[in-house]
Amino acid sequence: MGRDSGGFKLIKAARMIDGTGRPPLERGAVLVEDGAIRAVGTEEAVAPPEGAPVQEYDYGDATILPGLVDCHVHLIGIGDGRRGDDLTTLPDEVLTLQAAHNAREHLYSGVTTVRDCGAKNRTVFMLRQAVEMGVTPSPRLVLAGRPLAIIGGHLSYFGIQATGPVECTAAVRQLIKEGSDFIKITASGGSTATSFPLLPSFNLDELTAICNEAHKFGKHTAAHCTNSQAMVNALDAGVDTLIHGRQVEPDGSIVYRPEITERIVERGVFLNPTLAQGKVGMDRLAAKKESVGLSDAEETELDRLKGHYYDTTEHFARVRAEGVRLVCGSDSAWAYYPMGNFQAEVEAHVEVGMSPMEAIVSATSDSAKSCRIDDTVGTLAAGKAADVLIVDGDPSKDIKALRNVSDVFLGGGRVDRGNYV
Amino acid sequence: MNDGEEPLKLIRAARLIDGLSDKPLTGGAVLLMGAKIAAVGPQAEAAAGDRIEVFEYPGATVMPGMVDCHTHHNGFGDGRLGDDLALLPDEVLTLQSARNARVSLFSGVTSIRENGPKNDTMFRLRGAIEDGREIGPRMVLCGRPVATIGGHMGYMGSEVTGPQPARAMVRQLIKEGADYIKITATGGSTKTSYPLLPSFNRDELTAIAEEAHKLGKLTAAHCTSTQGIVNCLDAGVDMIIHCTFRELDGSYVFREDVAERIADQDAYVNPTLHVFRALVWDFLRLRESRKLTPREQADFDWRRSQLDHALDDCRRLLEMGLKVITGSDSSWGSYQLGNTVYETECLVAAGMSAMDGVKSVTGEAAKSLGIDGVTGTLEAGKEADVIVVGGNPAEDVMALWDVKEVFAAGRRIDRGSPESLAATIQPRMEYG
Repeated sequence: MGRDSGGFKLIKAARMIDGTGRPPLERGAVLVEDGAIRAVGTEEAVAPPEGAPVQEYDYGDATILPGLVDCHVHLIGIGDGRRGDDLTTLPDEVLTLQAAHNAREHLYSGVTTVRDCGAKNRTVFMLRQAVEMGVTPSPRLVLAGRPLAIIGGHLSYFGIQATGPVECTAAVRQLIKEGSDFIKITASGGSTATSFPLLPSFNLDELTAICNEAHKFGKHTAAHCTNSQAMVNALDAGVDTLIHGRQVEPDGSIVYRPEITERIVERGVFLNPTLAQGKVGMDRLAAKKESVGLSDAEETELDRLKGHYYDTTEHFARVRAEGVRLVCGSDSAWAYYPMGNFQAEVEAHVEVGMSPMEAIVSATSDSAKSCRIDDTVGTLAAGKAADVLIVDGDPSKDIKALRNVSDVFLGGGRVDRGNYV
Repeated sequence: MNDGEEPLKLIRAARLIDGLSDKPLTGGAVLLMGAKIAAVGPQAEAAAGDRIEVFEYPGATVMPGMVDCHTHHNGFGDGRLGDDLALLPDEVLTLQSARNARVSLFSGVTSIRENGPKNDTMFRLRGAIEDGREIGPRMVLCGRPVATIGGHMGYMGSEVTGPQPARAMVRQLIKEGADYIKITATGGSTKTSYPLLPSFNRDELTAIAEEAHKLGKLTAAHCTSTQGIVNCLDAGVDMIIHCTFRELDGSYVFREDVAERIADQDAYVNPTLHVFRALVWDFLRLRESRKLTPREQADFDWRRSQLDHALDDCRRLLEMGLKVITGSDSSWGSYQLGNTVYETECLVAAGMSAMDGVKSVTGEAAKSLGIDGVTGTLEAGKEADVIVVGGNPAEDVMALWDVKEVFAAGRRIDRGSPESLAATIQPRMEYG
């Protein structure tokens, strides 16, 4: 299950990418001791102490990278297109089983840390308990628990609907008591049937109360924002990560507002654009069109998705050019995006103008920073946890190489990706 | 014979055990059509066509998937008490149950009878399996065991008092999806219970058994003392679990008359020998690392005597011709799922022939659960629950450990890496 057996491990390959954005190091090596990275460098420079027993792994023409960090998942999701409104009708035990299934899929695909951006009731906390007991394998978990929503707001069916600053403060304290590592807020409506995606949800006093209380306890915040006003509110309140983040007016049109972008850059707020969500939906319908054809409604939906993806790509290319830090978070297994395919989100970041290396940074060290766990994971550096991914080929040349997973280490333990127990 | 588009699979091995016959068939073959067995033996071999996928296992035995009549899928088998297990949240217990379901399936067990989980955890797991999101053996579920207040496994969620509430509980469990009714007719390891004393009164037991039978369900009762067994026989319970012949003062007195009544009533016995042996092994393991304290030594002596009595009594029951089946009781105590064969080994050690041991964990086991119309033997028309094991278990029951392949309802199970499978096998200790 990826438990580290202790002692020294030496991981070598043709090149190493450390996740900071530095160019790949030829003949790189990582020395692991008792689950942590002890040294990183060229093969010649990195060696265990004289005479110490060491387990060697030489991967040949492969690349060593930090384990990937997906800063936006929904572990209880099924990814078969069902709406959150329907997902939430499943019993908590079944949702927890699904979360365990997804955690395993993501880990085996090379993701060693996930930030869960909203689950029902206590389900993901229960998963964490089971993982700590050794019942099921999982990436490191950064958990929100339930998202904070207004009555009828997006994801409110997961168990928290708060009104007014006092209730919001209480909800934050309750979540932190249960084990939340950060606070997820739905600052606008979304796909939830009773919510309004083009309108803000919480008022500024509520958002401010949430952020102040979270920050007081050393927790960060991330807010779902599918329109410009929600982003302005979230920025006013001091939110740390904006999710989705397209600049949309109440009438649905994209109107670029440079002052919003400026504030994001100035405040060092992360933006998680969830690009692949639209792409996988589009690809699904395009494939269906090829195989069995589409209904009129599906044809319209495909056109809408194409337009949306085009607008989105253009928008985020512009935002990025202005200096906004985009971080990779897949938003799987929401809608039609099953887990185990974080790579699709990383590839989509290349489509908005990132170099493959920049996309890797966005999916490792920047993503870890946005989850406030960059002291532990996200780069290959002495002292960090030995979460290591090895892929065949060179992802700094072709980002698709991230799919060629050869091995995964979690906390120094080699993950048996053939373990279905 | 294959008019639809159902895929055909032909499994060929050196020999075949069908779970009914006393001798294996040489040159065994089974033909699977979709989820069912289409033909067995020469008829299977005669099947031809382009759409047949052939699986060859030279030197091996093809046989029915194993049936474990007594499991605790919520459990960890790490020595923790049920009282402590029941403190865990339902979601965690469901995750553990899912893990145990995979472990048991991968070990060649294609059907289980679960003997008492908490709340609705196993119903939830079965739902997830039926929806195709999890995999596991065919499941015969009780939901929760029916217990007295403070009785054994009362913490699982179904404590009742009096015949009417007992009937109501049976109806409630069946409404939720119970396939049979598990009763704790004596105390047990539960802290607030009394293993030497009966728990339910006879009118309560009778009400439970009557109501279950009326609704077409079997009953099985935990009995760790002779009076518990007698009460269950009076009530018409269908399976006696543990079947410990102990008097109220704790002395072991084998009661041939009671054993005869079990035989006369055609009830099954599930002796659960290895769950006792596993506790003995715990002490042997501890003793290898350090000297036992006087208290541990006393516990060790008691566990050994418990195992010896259980083996002796089982030997007597077998000599009298009683119907004894394999029900592992894992993951209870220190016995983990995935290791069902340890129990079958113990039955053979108590006097069963190797072939009877195989039947006790296939055809006979299925009969005891009332699912012999569906699984437990290799016969045309039954569900294609089929395993392949190395060697010949009809000669050496240890061959059951060497599972080469598992088909459940016709589906070949991908059991994952050999390392991950090996990690589920509990190490053996010698106890002579």
